[in-house]
Amino acid sequence: MIKLKQIRKSFGRTEVLKGIDLTVNKGQVVAILGPSGSGKTTLLRCINYLEKPGDGQISIGDLTVDCKRHSKKDIHALRQKSAMVFQQYHLFRHKTALENVMEGLVVVKKQPKEEARARSIELLEKVGLGNKLHAYPSELSGGQQQRVGIARALALNPEVILFDEPTSALDPELVGEVLAVIRKIAKEGITMIIVTHEMGFAQDVANHVVFMDGGVIVEEGRPNEIFTSPKEERTKQFLKRITPESVYSI
Amino acid sequence: MGESFDISYVLEYFIKLLPTLKITLLIVAGSIVIGLGVGFIVALPQLYNIPVLKRLSQIYLSFFRGTPILIQLFLFYYGLPEILKAVSLDVSKVPALYFVILTYALHSGAYLAEMIRAAVGAVDRGQVEAAYAVGMTGFQAFTRIVLPQAMAISVPVFANLVIANLKDTSLAFSLGIMELTGKSQTLAVMSRHFVETYISLAIIYFIISYGLEKLFLLLERRLQRHERQLVTEKKAALKQKGRLGWPGIKPGYGGRGAEHEA
Repeated sequence: MIKLKQIRKSFGRTEVLKGIDLTVNKGQVVAILGPSGSGKTTLLRCINYLEKPGDGQISIGDLTVDCKRHSKKDIHALRQKSAMVFQQYHLFRHKTALENVMEGLVVVKKQPKEEARARSIELLEKVGLGNKLHAYPSELSGGQQQRVGIARALALNPEVILFDEPTSALDPELVGEVLAVIRKIAKEGITMIIVTHEMGFAQDVANHVVFMDGGVIVEEGRPNEIFTSPKEERTKQFLKRITPESVYSI
Repeated sequence: MGESFDISYVLEYFIKLLPTLKITLLIVAGSIVIGLGVGFIVALPQLYNIPVLKRLSQIYLSFFRGTPILIQLFLFYYGLPEILKAVSLDVSKVPALYFVILTYALHSGAYLAEMIRAAVGAVDRGQVEAAYAVGMTGFQAFTRIVLPQAMAISVPVFANLVIANLKDTSLAFSLGIMELTGKSQTLAVMSRHFVETYISLAIIYFIISYGLEKLFLLLERRLQRHERQLVTEKKAALKQKGRLGWPGIKPGYGGRGAEHEA
């Protein structure tokens, strides 16, 4: 279970997160929606301390970190409990797909190489890249790179996987393959928090939707509730502007 | 003037100069190895933005990049013993070669520090974040992710620095070191066959530089192999362009030439 309590974050004088409370249960798939600048990516990055929250409390599983009194050890432990999939993939460019997935297992989890290799091959096959084990990131398409990124995250067997707009940097024709993989692992009961602009996908895959604006959570609930009958005016506005594909089809 | 030109001396002096090559190479190797260490230490405060040390390293950089190597040699050779005398350390028995290696090391160190700083900065920050997200410590992220890529990026610059260092060592003769240039100086003065000596000397420097250049090219290819796809793609794109020609420039459509004809 992941519990965020009163997370605050400021960049200079602008307060980006104004006290966020969020609870994510084990096996839950949470989609965070909201306009640009609403703080959703910052919130995600705070969970594994890629951004340092100014105040608040983060709990993952049995570990609780107070953002005012954290040690280096806390941060390191927190990061080991989560994994992240980045918008720009951020694969290690000097390592092959297989080495990218193995890296965390060998270096951080100290697994024996052979064991790590077997596990990594298995995961790369799962994301449909069994034939690209020895390809470098520069030899892979964006969609393939992102799938390696997902395999790399899965390998760590984390309590939660954080997805930061995993399809935003992809060519439209490559979005499908990545979403298919995420959908597949969502069904396996892995806890996930996904920041996304893919409304259809969020509605389909998530079992909890959070709508953020201006650094606060405006509304949260089941996807059906949020998408079909949002309570807050701001949510209605946002969804109206973003979802109805019928408006564009002529 | 010297004796009349005789090509046979070129080969003779070439052979006579070769034994001193090892002194030259010793200066290069010694100063580059020490220089890398120095460069690393100097680059770190800049990379990690450490207040006072950063300022100090900048002063070091400006001094060694802003003054001629010849002056630095003199300053260290004549000045350092004076300073050390003040703390009652007698270095008058230390061979000049050590001063030379130290000076070249500090000189190259300045350029190497800049090389390291630039190369580390060129590895994209996102990969470091990914390393942290995977659970690596800062040290692991640096040594396993940043450093290998920074090294690959810096090879071309490093090659230039080593070759420049090799050629700079020719100034060591001014402190009486019998390296390549020092030796050729003696040979030339004794035999008065100046041109022949310097031709041999130039050939030796050239061969070593050329060899180093090729060696580093191989190293670069090896370390950059993970970017091979990009290179081949670029080549393919260039070929494509070549075949299609540049849009807007049609054969037979002259610029000024055409106007002139008209």
